[in-house]
Amino acid sequence: MMTMEYNPYLPRPASVNAVREESLETKTLRLSLINWRATFLPGQFVQLLLPGVGEAPFCITSSPSDPKHLELTIMRRGLVTTAAHYMRPGDAVGIRGPFGRPFPVESFKGKDLVIVATGIGIAALRSLILYTIENRNDFGDVTLLYGARFVEDLVYREELKSWAEKIKVIVTLSKPSEKWKGLKGRVTDHLDTIKLGENSLAVICGSPAVMVSVAKTLIEKGLEQKDVYLSMERHMKCGIGKCARCMIPGGFMVCKDGPVFSAGEINLEDVGE
Amino acid sequence: MAKLSWHEILGLITELQKRGFDVVGPSSEGGVVKLLPLEENTKLETNYVRTLNSPKDFLLPNKERLFRYKSTATVTSYGLKIRFPTVEGPCPITIVPEYSPPRGRIAFFGIHPCMVNSIRYLDKVMLSDPADPYYKARREGLFIAVLECDEGDEYCFCKSVGCEKVPNGYADLSIKKEGDGFVVTPRSPTGSSLLMEEGVEQIEETIPKMKEEYLFDAKDEKSIDLKDPANLLEDCTICSSCTVVCPTCYCSDIQDRFSLMDPSNVERIRTRMSCQRKSYSSIAGGVTFLRTKNERFKWRMKHKFPFSERMYGISGCVGCGNCIAFCPSRIDFRTFLGRRVA
Ligand SMILES: Cc1cc2nc3c(=O)[nH]c(=O)nc-3n(C[C@H](O)[C@H](O)[C@H](O)COP(=O)(O)OP(=O)(O)OC[C@H]3O[C@@H](n4cnc5c(N)ncnc54)[C@H](O)[C@@H]3O)c2cc1C
Ligand code: SF4
Ligand code: SF4
Ligand code: FES
Repeated sequence: MMTMEYNPYLPRPASVNAVREESLETKTLRLSLINWRATFLPGQFVQLLLPGVGEAPFCITSSPSDPKHLELTIMRRGLVTTAAHYMRPGDAVGIRGPFGRPFPVESFKGKDLVIVATGIGIAALRSLILYTIENRNDFGDVTLLYGARFVEDLVYREELKSWAEKIKVIVTLSKPSEKWKGLKGRVTDHLDTIKLGENSLAVICGSPAVMVSVAKTLIEKGLEQKDVYLSMERHMKCGIGKCARCMIPGGFMVCKDGPVFSAGEINLEDVGE
Repeated sequence: MAKLSWHEILGLITELQKRGFDVVGPSSEGGVVKLLPLEENTKLETNYVRTLNSPKDFLLPNKERLFRYKSTATVTSYGLKIRFPTVEGPCPITIVPEYSPPRGRIAFFGIHPCMVNSIRYLDKVMLSDPADPYYKARREGLFIAVLECDEGDEYCFCKSVGCEKVPNGYADLSIKKEGDGFVVTPRSPTGSSLLMEEGVEQIEETIPKMKEEYLFDAKDEKSIDLKDPANLLEDCTICSSCTVVCPTCYCSDIQDRFSLMDPSNVERIRTRMSCQRKSYSSIAGGVTFLRTKNERFKWRMKHKFPFSERMYGISGCVGCGNCIAFCPSRIDFRTFLGRRVA
């Protein structure tokens, strides 16, 4: 009992450092890790424990360059996510992870990146976006195509402006109000404006139906399946391949073999509807 | 090798208990045979084909506490009020998970080869990197005395999935019924010390006689996808018994629980989850990936066969037939998945 083995089921302590309102339904919690550091890469996730409420998985949205803090952007949906919206600075939480297979960022270096996000899907990609901005010279053209319904749905609204100084940012709204002067329509309507070359890679996160149609379009336009990456969502409990809740066809565990998969590794029909 | 009487067999159990093992073995209770802790009043049963429960119920108990922690929830007259513990000043109050590893060594006494194969499957799942610390602690020093099986019933088909023999290194003793007595062979150093013998012996294992044999061609997920189980499942009530009695069904749920009498003491527990339930695959926002009973039945088949082959290189079904024998509608997947050859 003295020398305790690593137990991936035990949460490690963290506290809420700041809470940012991002949109109508989302907030970002900035967490300080208490006496431990998180080593991770873009695309990985953690299990967030809210004491007395429960646990739910969230993608790490902050940059891997800061191992003492984690940022999670949380959309209000059920028990844990609603409780998360009531958190205040100073509140204690628990963290398990980081878990999962990240984006293979080393192999992304020198490539042109097309990043497509819809809705809360952008949360899964912010870490990658920040990583490319911090290591801007390692990448070729980086384009973010981000779709939401209304202006009020846009997450990271302020940050998008500063990102636009370093990478190309295209925002489109599918149900904009009259005041909206930017692009209209779904992300799939604007894929044609992105030029794809030999050297291009795509990274997609959003609702299953959107991911599938974007992936299919990009593959039709000439990207190889192995160069199209998706971040998948399934019910999760353990985070380490033991509960089988996140299993997808093919017998992959999203928590361990994913959540990042290339379109070459899975069948697009299995992503979901 | 030793020829032992019934009395001497019981002596082995006592000796194991003296050595600190919790001995678990088949015993009749209320008309069915179950694996139970063998204590003074629990009689070992050696004439049986199947048990209602299986080793998984001891290695991965249905309700297991992963840890405990304190929250600052209080019950007020208007309901439950949760205040998050707040980190204040230089000395943070944090969640301190209280964890006590499972204790005690388990000895399975008198289980059949199919059940030993199910332990091998659970090992593959639970000990693959990263190992599950709770399973590992229970598994450590596990003792297995196999009771050889002569003949299966109409639901048995271990031979059709290659699970009629004990996998290498998975037996400490082999017990074979012979006349009124038993032939007991040591198969590990612990086994031979128990028999007070030297060395380990190789034996020719009894191959159980099967009433029926099948040929399964289920390594390929597509072959399952193409089939329609609608007729087969007409009488399925989605009761989930098939997954409860299956020795290799390990899917689980994790929950934080507390009582309203004392909401500040929270337990994180792991319980069994069945893929036959809708909530198995539902996610927040209302999406369910496995919507119908047909889809969920196919999912069970895929997890047992192609997924297990891909992930662990072995069959996830050990052919014990429990899911058929204990199904209230006797739903039998064997001819759905393959064909009868004998
Ligand atoms: C790898 C991964 C990354 C994610 N990243 C984010 C993110 O960055 N931002 C965000 O807002 N949401 C994210 N989600 C979705 C988020 O986990 C769910 O919204 C959340 O679990 C809902 O929990 P709840 O308690 O509020 O909902 P309830 O409906 O009350 O769910 C109860 C429990 O079921 C499980 N559960 C329900 N839905 C999901 C789900 N979609 N995925 C996994 N488990 C689920 C959880 O254990 C949850 O606590 C992610 C999901 C996954 C799998
Ligand atoms: S035990 Fe039989 S009736 Fe119950 S869920 Fe399984 S197949 Fe259906
Ligand atoms: S699927 Fe049925 S026959 Fe196969 S191991 Fe499970 S209970 Fe036994
Ligand atoms: S979350 Fe438990 S296996 Fe993936």
